[in-house]
Amino acid sequence: MVFWVELLIAGVVSGLVIGLVALAITLVFGIARFPNAATGDTMTLGAYGALAGHAATGSLLLGGALGALGGAVTGLAAYALVFRRLSGRSTVALLVASIGIGFILRAGLALAFGHTQQVFQAPLVRPWRFEGVRIHPNDLRLAATAAFALAVVFATLYLTPIGRRMRAVADDPALARVCGISPVRVMVALWLLAGAVAGIAGVILGMRTVVAPEIGWDMLLPGFAAAILGGIGSPVGAVVAGLIIGIAQEMATPVVGFTYKIALAFVVMLFVLLVRPRGLFGRVEGVR
Amino acid sequence: MTKMDRRTVLGAGAAGLALTAMPVAANAQAATFRVGALNPVTGVGSPYGSGMQKMIIAAAEEINAAGGAGGRRIEVFSEDTQTSPQAAVLAAKKLIEVNNVRAIVGTWSSGVSLAVVPLTNDAGILLLNTSGAPALSVPPANAKGLSYRFQATNDRFGRAFAEIATREGFKRAATMAFNNASGIGNTEGFKKAWEAKGNRVVAEVVYEPNQPSYRAELQRVLAARPDVIVTGSYLADTTIILREWFQTGETTRWIIPGWAANPQLIQALGAEVTEGIISVDSVSNENAASFAHYDAVHRRATNQPGLSNVYAAMTWDMMICLGLAMEAAGPNADVAAINAKMREVANPPGEEVFTFAAGKAALAAGRKINYQGASSVLDFDQHGDVTPDFGAYFIAKGQLERRYIVSI
Repeated sequence: MVFWVELLIAGVVSGLVIGLVALAITLVFGIARFPNAATGDTMTLGAYGALAGHAATGSLLLGGALGALGGAVTGLAAYALVFRRLSGRSTVALLVASIGIGFILRAGLALAFGHTQQVFQAPLVRPWRFEGVRIHPNDLRLAATAAFALAVVFATLYLTPIGRRMRAVADDPALARVCGISPVRVMVALWLLAGAVAGIAGVILGMRTVVAPEIGWDMLLPGFAAAILGGIGSPVGAVVAGLIIGIAQEMATPVVGFTYKIALAFVVMLFVLLVRPRGLFGRVEGVR
Repeated sequence: MTKMDRRTVLGAGAAGLALTAMPVAANAQAATFRVGALNPVTGVGSPYGSGMQKMIIAAAEEINAAGGAGGRRIEVFSEDTQTSPQAAVLAAKKLIEVNNVRAIVGTWSSGVSLAVVPLTNDAGILLLNTSGAPALSVPPANAKGLSYRFQATNDRFGRAFAEIATREGFKRAATMAFNNASGIGNTEGFKKAWEAKGNRVVAEVVYEPNQPSYRAELQRVLAARPDVIVTGSYLADTTIILREWFQTGETTRWIIPGWAANPQLIQALGAEVTEGIISVDSVSNENAASFAHYDAVHRRATNQPGLSNVYAAMTWDMMICLGLAMEAAGPNADVAAINAKMREVANPPGEEVFTFAAGKAALAAGRKINYQGASSVLDFDQHGDVTPDFGAYFIAKGQLERRYIVSI
């Protein structure tokens, strides 16, 4: 029993990271309408930003905030310099542009910080034990950070005027425009939000693992899988799907072994999409 | 605008054509032998790559200063594998097709060498590598016998792990392997040798790269209550695994290959986590005159002692060995003729020589030679593999201390 509970906890922690990546992807897809392949590298930039912030201030919290800020600024810059000029072009054009931005970010980070791995020099602590189950204080902190980030995103989307406008644009860009919603302001808010979410995902991943120029790029595939599974464009779906993939991967390892756990995530996705092609929380878009 | 684009493209195309045409012209002068230095300058292998490349260049300079090999000067073309098979294949294609090299020297990491070896085989040129995967020994990778390995195979590493585990009195060993040819090669080699000694492996895990967490994998291994965990792993995954292991509060011991349990690992995790880890690496041929010579050149080229980069000693030996084989094969010998001489100049019987100049002089005098390398005594078996000795390094208070050497 303890064994399974610990696997479940490991799955939840992995799942939160995947969920945050998927959230950043799905936000952009829902509103700007293209899969942003630079999401992973925005994450990496967030991780390096947090590393620099931590080294400068000695505080993980401030470092993490700097990482989120770095992600937000990167998102905004990508919009201002590239995606705004390409607005109205085909999805493929935007996708290819985002792959290019990802390349630039990755190569720039490698040039600036080298390929050698770096780590957050945070004190390692022994776990707390509840009924034999090991709970790591660091996991709780990271989970709290992820939960806080999610709360901020959902509060922005559902409780603020700009969030309402963002959802309006997501629903129907033309109608939103007719109603006097400025697409530029919505886009600026979107890219800041999506960039910050990616940045935070990078910070959490970097704290749990190591920081290297490729870490974000490597998370892109599970991130896309979760975004699709959750129903593309659905923020709640992205997070839930991330958790499902994370938990399914870990809980299945005693049965299928460790080498197939990544494949398993895609098997789950396959089955859900066979039964529910629009994803868990996606809506069917009518074509008129 | 469109017109200008077209012109730019045409111009670039013309420049490209001119570039590809150049080697043909350069080939007219047959007095040079082209070698590609294909090393991990960036990526996971970056702690070693630039040193490896510098020693290839330094060895080529030494050969040229001694009047060349087989009447030819050696010309080195440097490329970076980025420690990635994809980048390595592109670089190897460029070296073979554009630079027209006759040997590729110093590939590091099995994934890279396994990706490059089909290209060198097709081109009929030599590949001198420092990778461990057992698959590199046999067909299809080494079907033509053109590939030589200057590093111990992962299988031999595994045997060294088993020797050390026995010597340390461990009884319940478990293994964790990164899912590639090298990682699994290490733990399989260990398992074979360990079971041959009448022991049992209590748990085995093969894990995937780039995971956000390895806790489930660790949980599986630790559930078997091992007293030592033997890994076939790399730096990044080892960092994550050890951090998560320490946070479980378990006190298992670890035996880890030297390319993962290195000073960067200690720097990443700190002295407390890494205390007592046994790091196993092949050791250079430290008491040989060739090592002293290599060490002096290495210090000049990098300001670091030669011991700091075991792979640089291997690439140094590659060039000296290649040069001697060229010398033995005679003027304008083709790759096949040079290849036929590789074992002859490196293996016994023959007069033991420690530098290119000494070997060249002995060959000129009509004597057989046996080059004693800086990296190992450098005797190739039928697969083109060498058997160096291994050092057991213990991490104590954040420092790697070599306690003893094992021979297998």
